[in-house]
Amino acid sequence: MSQIFHEIEKKIITSLQNNPIQTPEKLEKSTNLSPDQIRRGIEWLKLKDLAIVNESQTSNISLGKNGLESFHKGLPERRLLELLKNESKNLQELQKELGSVFGPAMGLARKNNWVDTDDDKVILKNYLTELPGEKTLKQIGENKISKNEVDVNDLSNILKRPDFVVEDIIKIKEISLTENAKSIEITHDLSGAIDVESKVPGVFVARTHPLKDTIDEIREIFVTLGFTEIIGEFTQPSFWNFDALFTPQDHPARELQDTFYLDGISAKKIGTAEQIRKISESHKKNWRYYWDINEARKMVLRTHTTCVTIKHLAETKPDESRIFSLGRVFRNEKVSYKHLVEFNQIEGVVVGKNATLRDLMGIQREFYRRIGITKIKFWPTFFPYTEPSLQTMVYNDRLGKWVELFGMGIFRPEVTKPLGITKPVLAWGGGIERIAMLRYGLDDVREFYNNNLSWLRSVTKCQ
Amino acid sequence: MPVVELSYTRLQKLLGKISKKQISDNLPFLGLDIESEDNDKVRIEYSPNRPDYSTDLGIALGLQGLFGIKVGAIKLNIKKSNDYVLSVKPSVSKIRPFVTGIIAKNGRIDDEMIKQLMTMQEDLHFGIGRKRKKSSIGIHDLDKISFPLTYTTSNKDHKFIPLHSDKELSISQILETTDIGKEYGSIIKNSTQVPVILDSKKQTVSFPPIINAAITTVTTKTRNLFVEVTGINKNDAEDMLSIVATILQTAGFSLISTKISGAKNTSPKLEPRKISVNSILINQMLGTNLTNSQIIASLKKSRLDAILKGKNIICTIPPYRFDIFGPMDLVEEVALGYGIQNLEPILSPSQTLGQTNSISVKLKSLSLIMIGLGYTEVLNSSLTSKKVLYEMTNREPVNMISVLDSKSQEHTILRDSIIPELLENLSRNIHASYPQKIFETGSVFSRGNPINEATSFAVISAHQDASFTEIKSILQSALKTGFNLEIETITFTHPTFEEGRTASISVNGKTIGVIGEINSKTIENYKIRVPVVGFEISLSGLLFD
Repeated sequence: MSQIFHEIEKKIITSLQNNPIQTPEKLEKSTNLSPDQIRRGIEWLKLKDLAIVNESQTSNISLGKNGLESFHKGLPERRLLELLKNESKNLQELQKELGSVFGPAMGLARKNNWVDTDDDKVILKNYLTELPGEKTLKQIGENKISKNEVDVNDLSNILKRPDFVVEDIIKIKEISLTENAKSIEITHDLSGAIDVESKVPGVFVARTHPLKDTIDEIREIFVTLGFTEIIGEFTQPSFWNFDALFTPQDHPARELQDTFYLDGISAKKIGTAEQIRKISESHKKNWRYYWDINEARKMVLRTHTTCVTIKHLAETKPDESRIFSLGRVFRNEKVSYKHLVEFNQIEGVVVGKNATLRDLMGIQREFYRRIGITKIKFWPTFFPYTEPSLQTMVYNDRLGKWVELFGMGIFRPEVTKPLGITKPVLAWGGGIERIAMLRYGLDDVREFYNNNLSWLRSVTKCQ
Repeated sequence: MPVVELSYTRLQKLLGKISKKQISDNLPFLGLDIESEDNDKVRIEYSPNRPDYSTDLGIALGLQGLFGIKVGAIKLNIKKSNDYVLSVKPSVSKIRPFVTGIIAKNGRIDDEMIKQLMTMQEDLHFGIGRKRKKSSIGIHDLDKISFPLTYTTSNKDHKFIPLHSDKELSISQILETTDIGKEYGSIIKNSTQVPVILDSKKQTVSFPPIINAAITTVTTKTRNLFVEVTGINKNDAEDMLSIVATILQTAGFSLISTKISGAKNTSPKLEPRKISVNSILINQMLGTNLTNSQIIASLKKSRLDAILKGKNIICTIPPYRFDIFGPMDLVEEVALGYGIQNLEPILSPSQTLGQTNSISVKLKSLSLIMIGLGYTEVLNSSLTSKKVLYEMTNREPVNMISVLDSKSQEHTILRDSIIPELLENLSRNIHASYPQKIFETGSVFSRGNPINEATSFAVISAHQDASFTEIKSILQSALKTGFNLEIETITFTHPTFEEGRTASISVNGKTIGVIGEINSKTIENYKIRVPVVGFEISLSGLLFD
């Protein structure tokens, strides 16, 4: 295997091939690299399994204040023996001569049976040419040396004496090469090659929200299918959200537990006098109940974008048109992995004298084909404002079952006639989050609104 | 949507030689969604416009048509009789004015049948009955009742033994102590008088819409039934009765009429209606070329009757199909009878040119500029809480808009600003790596006439070296590059931003938003550990109207 090494790595390997075990400090000298370069180089080699780092602990010793004094003047007990070498002396004389070290010197000499006392006379009994600790004291001298270099037994004689020996504990790193590395041939080329196989740090791409990407994609598909986008308000009078869509005023969907009503807000103007009259008549005639304009004035958060569409159709009364509306809708539900209080809906209509149910199914099939869904089927269903009504079922490979996607139908004459819309209107719509969940492989719809940066930064963009 | 539990075995008994798979494959083509299956049991969701599907008997009628076992309209055979008289006293007029009823004789009731009848009753009470408010049903053992009956009112001291009880209770006790009384009592609570049905021996039969008498309880020994429906609207009451009558006849009971009179009440007619439709409308709507006889055959499979008269097809609609209003409903019935799966989708060329809304175009463009500047897009709810919106950011709730009765405490107030939610986003991401740079465009709301909706654009940058200069550069570059707009920043104070490091933003002398360093108190409230800078501007009136 040929490997590319950094200049730092090359120098370290070469030096270790010549001198197999070295401390970082030695490597600094032998390679002429800075401590930081050595540190990085060793880390790289360790990661590649080329270098071994052995960590051990040792002590350095040097002499303290009393130790140094003894090194220069002799140990107190040596000085005592020297004074007595030629003649006995009395205590007072010795005390004067030795000063503060007289006590320890006498104590040691007597204990070791080197001297004896007769009244106040001190007499030499044994003269030793080398006292315990003297060898070590000489060895250390004024230097700092490794504890390993001295005789441990002899050291122990002075180690415990106050301020004789100072001990520094130090950690030693020894670097050596692994067997593999010993045989690497370092070529000193100057090509500037780098290790292209090594790992690099990750960077985050700023990006649009994944759900927005799906929304934009769907918008694009509708435009290319000949649809024009319309935009409307989130807050709507019940009149456009419900009444205009033939939903009776006591319909369950209108209740507080399904719909968000705005606290204490009522619209003064909800539609033209003619629109209000004709819609209320359609309700009275077909649903047979007392229609209350105050109920129609109550402001709600739109439960579908169909209110935007129907208002647009009522204003423009087109003979031929393809429009779509896309945006947030609201349902007063408990938030769960499959329900949000607020989600996005796409909704499109085709107006035309020749528009048929089969056209509606055909546009659906084309739409799904463009977002990559080919396994679909249509089932009958019920919506208050379309007749006939269908729902699309798409096959979810991951769940292994058919799931409901869009609802569709032809607007009932009870909806279109009062608003002066004379041509058939094909309409369909559904939640965008459902499609986005299929595409991003999510099981929890809340993920789209958690704004978890690690997810936003990592999720792969859908193509 | 209501759900009913069925047994395949029972359905097969009603249908004949049809396999379990054939049934489950075809249920969706009646508009029924299979919710779950467990061996013989299958749970089905049906649309609220078809309450006849609240029992297996009703579903069997539909399947018989689809499979071609029995086609055409179900005719109610009601034997006329003067034996069953119910007279209505005027005193009920202001409380629950309408009553209707029917006799069903010589049927067999097993446990499963009782279960199906109870489900039907509950679903009808919930759907058409609007939780019993508009109409409610009582089903009684006929043999325990002596006719004639009286539908009248009584005071709240009136006593009888209610269903599921063994002792006499007064109306007041029923309303105050029983679960059912507490749940539905509010329907009649305001009046001192309550509706009751009494028999000729002054025995209480029912206290509608709350509870029946124990004595008329239906058991597996019951053979003959009396069904009454009371309500506040005559049509709704008769609609409900038509469903029960159809289901009981299907179950093998013979129907006998009741004679109802007094206080604007009359005997129920339960007669079919006729609606005319022509093949042109049907073929035009469906995109088909069906012949008159194909259309008639399809309608019959949908359990309606149809005959050709001149160019028109005259349809007979049985009374329980009160979901049919006019010709367009018949178009759907043809489609169902013909089979949705037999309609091949077509893609007609578009006659129109598509166009993206200019607002969407500008918002997309702004998003792309922000991405270029290194900012990641987030999406938050328009509905949030008072805590996030005002308390955490130290703002005053001026012109606040709340929704009524939200099921989620985190979603009660419409946002008037996006920045509080962006700070909330940072707060949830304190463990993700910095810098964190995010933006959002979306609607904000304030009370007006009736409500002002505007599109807002908010940006936030959070990292150790975040500064006013940095965020002003971003704002300046985004608006200059995207829309050739020059901004000015003027000293300003704002409760969420640091005093002395906050400015209002203006374009051509018009104030459009605020920019600055978020103050330390707000940052602390959100438990963020790095400096945060940001701005929010209104795009409505700037980039679009």
